[in-house]
Amino acid sequence: MIRALLAALAVLAVPGAAAAQTVAIIHARALPVASAPVDDATIIIDRDHIRSVVAHGTVPAGARVIDASGRIVTPGLIGAATQLGLVEVTSGPLGPAFDVQYAINANSALLPVARADGVTRAMTYPGGAATAPFSGMGAVLRLVPEGDILETPRAAMFVAIGNTSQAGAGGSRAAQWVLLRNALEEARRFAAAPRAVGPRDQLLSRPDVEALGGVIAGRMPLAIQADRESDIRQAIRLAADEKVRVVILGGAEAWHAASDLAAASIPVILDPETDLPQTFDALGARLDNAALLAKAGVTIAFSVSGNGLYLSYDAGIDMREGAGIAVANGLPYADGLKAMTAGPARIWGLANAGTLAPGADADIVIWDGDPLEPASAPVTVFVKGVEAPLGTRQTALRDRYAPGRANDPLPPPYR
Amino acid sequence: MKRSTRFFGLAIALLTIGATAGKGPLPAERAPYMRDLFPSTYRPLPRTDTLIVHATILDGAGHRIDDGELLMRDGKVVAIGHDLAAAGATVIDAHGRWVTPGIIDIHSHDGTYVVPLTTIDDKASDVSELSDPNAAGTWIETAVNPQDPAFARALAGGVTAMQVLPGSDPIFGGRSVILKPIPAPTMQAMKFPGAGQGMKMACGENPKAEDAELKRGPTSRQGEIAYIRDAFAQARHYMHDWDEYLAGKDDDRPRDDPRLDTLAGVLTGAIPVQMHCYRADEMAVMIDLSHDIGFRIAAFHHAVEAYKIAPLLAANHICAAVWSDWWGYKMEALDGIRENAAFVDRAGGCAMMHSDSPVLGQWLNVEAGKAAAAGRRAGLALPPEHVIEWITSNPARALGLADRIGSLVPGHDADLVIWSADPFSVFARADTVFIDGAVAYDRTDRRYQPRSDFELGRGPGSRP
Repeated sequence: MIRALLAALAVLAVPGAAAAQTVAIIHARALPVASAPVDDATIIIDRDHIRSVVAHGTVPAGARVIDASGRIVTPGLIGAATQLGLVEVTSGPLGPAFDVQYAINANSALLPVARADGVTRAMTYPGGAATAPFSGMGAVLRLVPEGDILETPRAAMFVAIGNTSQAGAGGSRAAQWVLLRNALEEARRFAAAPRAVGPRDQLLSRPDVEALGGVIAGRMPLAIQADRESDIRQAIRLAADEKVRVVILGGAEAWHAASDLAAASIPVILDPETDLPQTFDALGARLDNAALLAKAGVTIAFSVSGNGLYLSYDAGIDMREGAGIAVANGLPYADGLKAMTAGPARIWGLANAGTLAPGADADIVIWDGDPLEPASAPVTVFVKGVEAPLGTRQTALRDRYAPGRANDPLPPPYR
Repeated sequence: MKRSTRFFGLAIALLTIGATAGKGPLPAERAPYMRDLFPSTYRPLPRTDTLIVHATILDGAGHRIDDGELLMRDGKVVAIGHDLAAAGATVIDAHGRWVTPGIIDIHSHDGTYVVPLTTIDDKASDVSELSDPNAAGTWIETAVNPQDPAFARALAGGVTAMQVLPGSDPIFGGRSVILKPIPAPTMQAMKFPGAGQGMKMACGENPKAEDAELKRGPTSRQGEIAYIRDAFAQARHYMHDWDEYLAGKDDDRPRDDPRLDTLAGVLTGAIPVQMHCYRADEMAVMIDLSHDIGFRIAAFHHAVEAYKIAPLLAANHICAAVWSDWWGYKMEALDGIRENAAFVDRAGGCAMMHSDSPVLGQWLNVEAGKAAAAGRRAGLALPPEHVIEWITSNPARALGLADRIGSLVPGHDADLVIWSADPFSVFARADTVFIDGAVAYDRTDRRYQPRSDFELGRGPGSRP
């Protein structure tokens, strides 16, 4: 009751909050991703979904009209691997059962920044691997400006192979793979007989084996964080042996196994700025990794940059810069945009996301330039058919300290 | 200062070569803080005279020349303009391409933060000497590993000079070095000839947190300030002792002290301070402190709140080395805004993009493009011929090298980049990088794509 009341007050308090309605974006250069670009497009948003994208299309009576002359319009971007909304990213005593959904903070100052850079959805995933090699379960967020941002909890299981979790596996990469395979085996035993008492030699707790149920059933993607070619080939083997849906996260040397990844339909979420041997697992890192993978037919998406420092602080601009760098290094432009939209939607099973196809979710961005240029920015962002305010702490600071205010009589805190 | 060390160091040398023993300095003797212990052995790569034609040139001095020409002779820029006479020069047609001065990265850790990092780096990295909050006696050049693959990556990103700085955990981090990213077996062979050094200092969270953790020094911002005053007071005495000795007023030769050497070098004005500071209030305190003590701050590094005190920085002729968009990864970085460089610039100040990272150090042109775009959205006029200064002539100024590099004017070193497109676009690549008039990197010619020993023999295709 109190919670509902607070939620209602929050709605009233947010300026510019608007209900979804019929919107017509006209004269746009639409990049629908799922189909060819449309010039002078009329994009009709019907409440929370896209009705149509048609060249010179007619505007429905009563629709709000936005003139996007000369502007590129794309689907909202999807951060394929972020830690948005999270502070707590390590799992403590839990392994597979660690679940980030309980820690997500919708008031994180990082979220408006990501949205103002065009991100409307994001996978947020746990880091570390206290119960090696498991990091735990990630969740998909929908960056609505108000209300609950948790869209799909338990959207994927994350494990970390190689340098990241080696310490937790007795310092051994071989042990990591044995632990992972054993965990899947224990999960299968549990699924077959949930009420049976686990054998004495079972390594995982009951919540942990239970959490793996979706993975062994082939519903929940198993995201394996790995860079070294040998680990990527092990992941391909694991997918075949265990009939699980594997996604590679990192994949600095994935280009070495591009054709085998494509044949196994294993997607790769990569950092396109990785061209240094940051670890001994990434000695083969190169800037055309994305181009080589896409050419081989691998579905790709982008994580944020290898600087680590700003993993999710600039989730949007950083991903766009990475996409631009991938394109500068041989990735076709359309594939660069796809890797921020339809690619991650496909990887994480978001059926209506990542395109401007009729019926798709009304997550739409109108840009002031090329979205793959990090110097560009959105001018309008719709999430779930609602125009989102683009103000952030940063724009508030910008306005307070703008050069034109240098001679204000009162100091900045009074502005 | 101990005064009983007559038979120390150079004094012993003087005795053994039979010079006048013990009675004051040799005529040519200089204070130890004026010496370069590791002189440059850099030699330019093979070069020919080169004429670039049909380029869009941003000269780094505020000008844009469309369909322009630039002539390099004997490693120098000799002419820039149109219809240049260039008998015997190799001609490069840069139609549709752009030419800028080489990028200068004012803040790099290349060669000391060498990837891949190892378990030793976790405990004992070469970025910062942690045994004492005062590491002024360290010279980062003695740690530079020229086999760091990051040097060649920076070069491929259009960087032609970089300042490698010590880290920010100590209050006095030590001396910086200016290098050319032309990989070679020794640091000296990469060292920018005739360039001075800087001294790294740090304020704020990093030194106090490190000192608290190691229980070895000031644990507060106010403690850091007191510590700095005390250290410079010692250095004043040290300089006085040397002055007396060199003037023949005192026969006791002072003992060489590497820490005080560096601080004395700072007090003479020969070594500018490169100051790590995030918050506006801390920068303002450091400016006052520098006036009181008498040291010169060339630049505040990181300076995420520079925009809050842009006129103060401009009035004090202190540059701000900033990122385009890093923020929030610690409390003192919370207020970073993308207009930072543009607002510093607008106040008449000296804005610079810096990397602090071997990844970002390859994309400083894109950094400048992002920062300028944010400024334009805030209503400021920032044409490309001006923005290019943020990564060329402004860092040259902060390094005291503005008369040699950073702008393409006759007589300056021919350090320049031919870009495939507008250099502020993410799609632009450095096609050819010239250093001292020689091709140091060529995107289409493997002979001019250096790689470190570490990267050899790792199978086909391991090369980026």
